[in-house]
Amino acid sequence: MNRILLVEDDEMNRDMLSRRLIKRGYDVTIAVDGQEGIEQARTGSFDIILMDMSLPVVDGWTATRTLKDDQKTSGIPVIALTAHAMQGDQEKALAAGCDDFDTKPVDLKRLLNKIESLTGS
Amino acid sequence: MTHAHASEARRRSALLRLSTGIAAARDEREVCQSVVDGLHDRDLGYDFVGVFLLDLKTGDRVMQASVGWDGTHDGYRIRAGEGLSERPLKDKEVHYTPRVKAEAGHVLAAANGSELDLPLIVDDEVIGVIVVEGAEEDAFHREDLEILTAAARQASLAIGRVRLIEQERRRAEEQTALMDTMRDLSGELKLEKLLEALLQRAVRLLGVTGGELAIFDEEREELVIVAGHEMGANAVGTRMAIGEGAMGHVARTKEPLVIPDYQEWAGRSEQYTQDTVQSVVAAPLMIGSRLVGVIAAVHADPGHAFDGEDLRLLDLFAPQAAVAIENAHLFTAEHRRALEQQALLDTLADMAGELELSVVLQDLLVRAADLLDVTGGELAIHNQETGELRIAASHQMGSDAVGTTMARGEGAMGRVAETMESLVIPNYLEWVGRAETYTDGSVQTVMAAPLMIGSRLVGVLALVHSEPDRAFGAEDLGLLKLFATQAAIAVENARLFTEGRHRQQYFEDLVKNNPVAIVTMDLDFDVTACNPAFEALFGWKEEEVLGKNLDRLVNTPESLDEASAYTEETLRGTVIRGIGKRARRDNTLVDVEFAGVPVTVDGEQVGIMGLYHDITELLRAQEEAQAANQAKSSFLANMSHELRTPLNAILGYSEMLIEEAEDHGDEHYIRDLEKIVSSGRHLLALINDVLDLSKVEAGKTEVYLERFAVQEVVDAVSTTIRPLVDAQGNTLVIECPESPGVMHSDLTKVRQMLLNLLSNAGKFTDHGTITLTVSPTHEEDGEWITFHVRDTGIGMTPDQLEKIFEAFAQAEASTTRRFGGTGLGLAITRRFSQMLGGDVTAASVPGEGSTFSLRLPVESS
Repeated sequence: MNRILLVEDDEMNRDMLSRRLIKRGYDVTIAVDGQEGIEQARTGSFDIILMDMSLPVVDGWTATRTLKDDQKTSGIPVIALTAHAMQGDQEKALAAGCDDFDTKPVDLKRLLNKIESLTGS
Repeated sequence: MTHAHASEARRRSALLRLSTGIAAARDEREVCQSVVDGLHDRDLGYDFVGVFLLDLKTGDRVMQASVGWDGTHDGYRIRAGEGLSERPLKDKEVHYTPRVKAEAGHVLAAANGSELDLPLIVDDEVIGVIVVEGAEEDAFHREDLEILTAAARQASLAIGRVRLIEQERRRAEEQTALMDTMRDLSGELKLEKLLEALLQRAVRLLGVTGGELAIFDEEREELVIVAGHEMGANAVGTRMAIGEGAMGHVARTKEPLVIPDYQEWAGRSEQYTQDTVQSVVAAPLMIGSRLVGVIAAVHADPGHAFDGEDLRLLDLFAPQAAVAIENAHLFTAEHRRALEQQALLDTLADMAGELELSVVLQDLLVRAADLLDVTGGELAIHNQETGELRIAASHQMGSDAVGTTMARGEGAMGRVAETMESLVIPNYLEWVGRAETYTDGSVQTVMAAPLMIGSRLVGVLALVHSEPDRAFGAEDLGLLKLFATQAAIAVENARLFTEGRHRQQYFEDLVKNNPVAIVTMDLDFDVTACNPAFEALFGWKEEEVLGKNLDRLVNTPESLDEASAYTEETLRGTVIRGIGKRARRDNTLVDVEFAGVPVTVDGEQVGIMGLYHDITELLRAQEEAQAANQAKSSFLANMSHELRTPLNAILGYSEMLIEEAEDHGDEHYIRDLEKIVSSGRHLLALINDVLDLSKVEAGKTEVYLERFAVQEVVDAVSTTIRPLVDAQGNTLVIECPESPGVMHSDLTKVRQMLLNLLSNAGKFTDHGTITLTVSPTHEEDGEWITFHVRDTGIGMTPDQLEKIFEAFAQAEASTTRRFGGTGLGLAITRRFSQMLGGDVTAASVPGEGSTFSLRLPVESS
């Protein structure tokens, strides 16, 4: 059972993605902004983090950089979820330490492939 | 004081008066008179004194002045060989005769006592004698001898002096006469007057009674008297045969002749019955060895016989007269030419100065009429457009016809205009072409010539005469043509001048009313003029900027260097253009588009013209347009982003519902849900493309260059597109060389472009083949990779080809519905390819397929 931390501020995207992941057997924890995402990642135990980039309070790039700078959390793979064609966002995401990225709306099959390859399950 | 003393003092005083008198004398006669007067002084008391001068020709002693010499007069002569007073002439000594009566050879005496004869000596030559007599015998003592010898010496000196003066004066007179003659020759006197003046002067100089001058008529071999002076009857016009009379004689011998006693002369002319002529001197007038005339001088005084000296003087005049006559021959021929020349010069002067055409033409017409000595004339200008003649000048034609127009062919002038040939009508009243309007019966003869500039008619000049006996000849026509030439030039000049003035006016107006600020400068870049628009733009008045350096006037310290560089270029003859900020008078800045134009006249740069166009409004409009476009792009980018969020939900939940339906076996929902997903995806693609394009246009698209293998991108693209191609029943063929190498470019954009081209090919091809060919090429400007995407689809017409790279421009509006796609793919591909330094082109044959070629540099920068 893989534990996923989903950091997403948009309620519908969060609800939709979390339900589809849970349906496929993942253990999904929710955070609604960057700050909460960091706190959850530090306190909980996750195999992978799906991080939206445009987040309130602390944005996804800052949150990712913070987690990657923290030894406790730096080992958790982060997949950035970016808006389509926001090429700069993607580049910035990789620069911030994300391990991979995918564009929204999410192509579930493709995302599951990326999760599996990063968690090795 | 004793009496002797008193008398001595008076004597000395008298001697002083004598000396002073002699010294003050201005000519020989005055010298002689002062000698007599001085000696006759009562304090000296010589009562019988006579002064004689020697006549060199005769040897006679001629009395000049005397006192106490009764029975004689001035001019009284004592013949050579007679009288006691001859002795000093021979030995230059003073001779004293104590008793006159005892002497033989005594001829005449004032007193019959004693006599003293004293020589007058000049330049060692005896020129006269002073005779002093006493009533008593042996009246003279040593004292008297001293006084009289001194007086004689003084008189001698005085006479020598006045003779010298006289000689000089005579020489000066000759010179003056010569000068006068020369001046006359170069002047414009008629020959007769000239010869008369010459003769008059000769007569005056010779001091003779009169003279005559005759010209040799070569044709008739006769002499014709052309000038006479003080000869009683006027002999001018009289003809003489060669050999007849004195002049005829000279004409035959061509030698000068002196006839001391004319009345006795054997060759005396029958025509010359005047017995007043006593003596004649005559000289031939020669040009080289050719006789042109004879000059003669006569004297009525029998005492004045001509001699060699007179001949010498006459000879002075002979060459002058000869030259005058010769010149006169030439002059008659030259006279007309000179007048013509003068008329031409006058006209040219007019043209240089007065340019009022009507005045010039009137003047010219009057001069032509005067020179040809005719009644009057008219001058008409030819109107090039209407072909009509309009009279521009009229001279003594009865009624003033100025302004009247004539048709080509009408009347004499119209005829000339038609034929462009000059015309002489000897009898105008009977001339068939006579104009109806010409009822002036006084016109008898007409002569007209065309005014031509090259082969172009500019007018007609006509002269008329009211007397039928004045027949116009070739010479008249020649003169008329000369004036016609001048008039043509005047008319043409006036036309050019007017045209030039109009043109100048036109350009002045153009500059003055031009909305563009125009300023002209000399080569130092100092302002020479500016127009009102310049004043309005920069706030300077023209008088404030004249002579000022323009660069310093309108530049800020920041723009001065740049402006100076432009100035340098302009001075090298280059036209410069630019956009920048310039300073107004109040130091505010204004955006201008400017141009510097070198002003060249006849190949030489004389100045610079500066043009300034206020583009403040233009720039503002441009900025506004750019801002609006930016806003549009931003709006589109934001909007597409905002649209996508709800779309994500629609797609996401639809897909979830499909999964749910599959799980629950609710098959009948699945087809409808799939339609929602399919439409949602199309909408998403549209939104994504709009976003891409608007980002490109908003300048927000960034290029991320990285190094990647061409093979990788080809593989990735083919993997992605193959399911779509297969679904459409098409075949995908990849033609790629073994190792196509590595590119330094934007991987994402290359991939997107290839996907666009391939999916586009798939859309318009049904059960055909889509081929992706990769061909690296080495070209002059570097290494390139070209991706050709060829399909066997429906193809495009040339019209369609033109538009396919424009946004939302699929070949047909219906194609979007029929074939899907957003219609933005190719536009985005073109934009991206250009951003990477390449381009995309298309070629197509309708019904056979299309080929799109994406050509990119291997190394983008």
